[in-house]
Amino acid sequence: MRRGWQVACVCLLGVFVPALVTSLDYSLTDALGPGPGFFPFWLSAIGIALCLAMLVQLVRGGVVSHDAAALPLSRQAALQAGAVLLALTMAAAFLEPLGFRLTMLPFIAGLLLALGARSLLAVALCAVAGSFGVFHVFYYWLKVPLPIGVLGI
Amino acid sequence: MDTLQHLMAGLAAAMSWQNLAFALMGCTLGTLIGVLPGLGPAAGTAILIPLTFRLDPTGGLIMLSAIYYGAMYGGTITSVLINVPGEAASVVTCFDGYQMAKQGRGGTALGVAAVGSFIGGIAATVALVVVAPPLARLALSFGPPEFFALMLVGLGLVTSLAGRSLLAGLAMAVLGLLIAMVGIDPVRGAPRFTFGIPSLYDGVGFIPVVMGLFGIAEILLTMGASDRQVITPTLTSLLPSREERRRSAGAIGRGAGIGFFLGLIPGVGAIIPTFVAYVLEKRLSKTPEKFGQGAIEGVAAPETANNAYANAAMIPLLTLGIPSSPTIAVLMGAFIVNGLTPGPFLFQERPDLVWAVIASFFLGNILLLVLNLPLVGLWARILHLPHQYVSVGTLLFCMLGAYSLQQNVFDVGVMIVCGIIGYGMRRIDLPVAPLVLGLILGPFIEKSLRTSLEMSGGDFSIFLTRPLCLALLVVGGLILLGSALRLAPAEIRESSTN
Amino acid sequence: MSRFATAMFAAGLALAATMAGAIAQQEYPTRPIQLMVAFPAGGSTDIAARIVASIAEKELGQSIVVVNKGGAGGQVGWTELVRQRPDGYYIGFINLPATNTVILDPERKAIFTEKDFSPIINQVLDPGVIWVKSDSSYKTVQQLIDAARKAPNTLRAATTGILSDDHLAILMTEEAAPGAVFRLVHLEGGAAQFKEIMAGNIEVAFDNVGSIVPRVKSGEVRALAVMDDVRSKFLPDVPTMKELGYPTVISSSTRGVAAPKGTPEAIIAKLRDVLKRAMENPEHVKKLEDQGIAIKIMVGDDYARYFADTHAKAKKYTEWAKTRPMK
Repeated sequence: MRRGWQVACVCLLGVFVPALVTSLDYSLTDALGPGPGFFPFWLSAIGIALCLAMLVQLVRGGVVSHDAAALPLSRQAALQAGAVLLALTMAAAFLEPLGFRLTMLPFIAGLLLALGARSLLAVALCAVAGSFGVFHVFYYWLKVPLPIGVLGI
Repeated sequence: MDTLQHLMAGLAAAMSWQNLAFALMGCTLGTLIGVLPGLGPAAGTAILIPLTFRLDPTGGLIMLSAIYYGAMYGGTITSVLINVPGEAASVVTCFDGYQMAKQGRGGTALGVAAVGSFIGGIAATVALVVVAPPLARLALSFGPPEFFALMLVGLGLVTSLAGRSLLAGLAMAVLGLLIAMVGIDPVRGAPRFTFGIPSLYDGVGFIPVVMGLFGIAEILLTMGASDRQVITPTLTSLLPSREERRRSAGAIGRGAGIGFFLGLIPGVGAIIPTFVAYVLEKRLSKTPEKFGQGAIEGVAAPETANNAYANAAMIPLLTLGIPSSPTIAVLMGAFIVNGLTPGPFLFQERPDLVWAVIASFFLGNILLLVLNLPLVGLWARILHLPHQYVSVGTLLFCMLGAYSLQQNVFDVGVMIVCGIIGYGMRRIDLPVAPLVLGLILGPFIEKSLRTSLEMSGGDFSIFLTRPLCLALLVVGGLILLGSALRLAPAEIRESSTN
Repeated sequence: MSRFATAMFAAGLALAATMAGAIAQQEYPTRPIQLMVAFPAGGSTDIAARIVASIAEKELGQSIVVVNKGGAGGQVGWTELVRQRPDGYYIGFINLPATNTVILDPERKAIFTEKDFSPIINQVLDPGVIWVKSDSSYKTVQQLIDAARKAPNTLRAATTGILSDDHLAILMTEEAAPGAVFRLVHLEGGAAQFKEIMAGNIEVAFDNVGSIVPRVKSGEVRALAVMDDVRSKFLPDVPTMKELGYPTVISSSTRGVAAPKGTPEAIIAKLRDVLKRAMENPEHVKKLEDQGIAIKIMVGDDYARYFADTHAKAKKYTEWAKTRPMK
């Protein structure tokens, strides 16, 4: 877990340092007081200081005890989490081109099967309800527009 | 007493079959809107305004108000069951509510939330009846400088949310504040940190971020845990234990007070009272380490606070005609469209209508309790479905919610990215709450500072010459000092152990 | 082929194309139309949009779905509008001068210009108004201006946002009354203005008639002047700036429907006709006027000219606003 915290500190630095640099493009003060760059600049500076202090703390052995382990991560868990992320990203990518119904149908069915659902009938029903059913409720009853893709569906 | 007479007359009007039906419809619709992703009370209320064209004003307003505080409860359901805040104000309920659900106590959490919401709502409405006009004047003394000071005090809460490392908590808060700076700045009205992406012009978007940090991250975390056992609740375990009842009672009382007072201040928003109530309970508790692991006060306090807030926020509207939030502004629009202008004159011109609406708040809160309490067991059973269906259902829910906010796929992308970030943070036990707090308070702090300086022409002494502002700053300073003195020695000691 | 046959062939093709175009126009619309509002649900643009949509869709035969794309003072929505296909199935509301200032403010980095829109029809024209608390010591605009001259940059005047039409209106007033300088406080919307006026944090607010008619009627606020050529029918007792000797102070917020540039003229004409009839519909008129919102239908060259004029005016005051000293 200590390694995880060190990585986290480095990632945070990777956010705070560019933020500090970018905030210099905006004026730090103006006639009335703090300008658009003021808070971003000082917040980034404080953030950098905190990250460095944390790194020092970690090196000296504090915060995270030596033998503390992060939550266990099995191969299966990692694969499933990866599958979920992949499915989400692809669904987001195809949501507007293919439309809500045509994207959610394979998304629901595929993910259910990938995660081990067994009854094909239940999977099919859920997929249809979750895509076409939900679309109908939102678009026609609630008047909330959901994307319709190039195929007109 | 004149007020009591009015109230009685109002109750009589509110209890007509027609108006009761409207209140019932409003509560049901409101709960649904709260549960359904993306359809916040503002959008839902706006869509329903045309309905009120066809109903009589009293009935229409009763229904709209019921939708508003009903939605506060609906958001709780998803927070507890699937760790997805159905609506911004329910974020804090995720902290302990979902943990309780994982321990098989989801029904209890929902039950406590329902009871707490009921008490909070009734208490706020009673206070509205008794002390409305004088207290409403209090709302007016909160100008931009006082608001700025209040937000700074709110930021001081972060020290109690830090968890294992104060430095990490502070860093997360700073990160949240920084993310809040993306978008059009309040100084020049120009885009800041948007990198030419138009979708970022309005900021990163609070709801997609929390849906990702909480909901998506949770799904990713539970992958591979298909062998985890789902604890089957027995009927008796649906009720809180005596110990829990005792602890909740205090939490509910304090939450109601906090929600009420913050509800009087226009612009505070529903989330901040929930954070304040939560942190207060944690500070007062003898077992603060239980918070975040399923402490019942961690659900009772914020839930009571947000319903007390929702009912109290009606006070500035009804007595002064000042809407406290965009959602209430929509409600006010509904009044105006029906030819009524909320404000002190409305009380004098149409007391029958105003008191009928106020009386309906009492009835509405009762209806909410009656509607939701029996359903609690039913809702909790959702968790018993095979885990694939719960997970995929949650993901569908989240995608729908993130997209339907602004019909923008970008929000879905933000949610996914935050899901990954939240996953990483949870794996190494980095605190999420301070990030959320920073994200909420950032815009308020910057905007109120700027407006104060515009008012004073650049003179910083405005913060010291206004008594209420000065008082708040002193209080905030004392709280921070107290936290520093309490936590710093331990922190310094911690860094040189091991 | 003989020349005669070629000519006949070409004529036949042309005829077919024209007929196809005519059929397409007659067939439009064949699926629901999206009407974009660049502000969140519940605002006055949104409510007026939903009212006109619900009436117009009956004549069109296809539903008109109102899509809210709020954010960045409308920039998010208008950016989306200009990017859509100009086929008549995605149109949206433009708000002048807000749309203009977004284009004209270099810091906004808008990806669209005024040429990227095909205006169809204007719905609402909401004139600017200057108002104070009902028990304020300022009973006329002249008193206000004199006070602003005597103590420049002390009198706090509220707008509804940076570079909003109210912001520009204050600058117009300062230009017409040299020496008068207001301390600008940019608030977010009319409700915030009302609160700060009641609390005594602001002396005067510049907003639009539609926002304050109910409050003037209830006696909570006093309207000092309306910034239009003629008096507002909702505030008949309030003088115009022209009457008070400041004829150059004319400012309003207008809302109209536009399509992305390149939308076929036939489709624009059809939308124009349908929307015009919807806006003239008594139900529409009544609902808007009940809220104090003034309808002003402008089409064709009138609207295009209004757009250009507003753009030119906004350009002048936006540039001034950017360089105006704050203290």
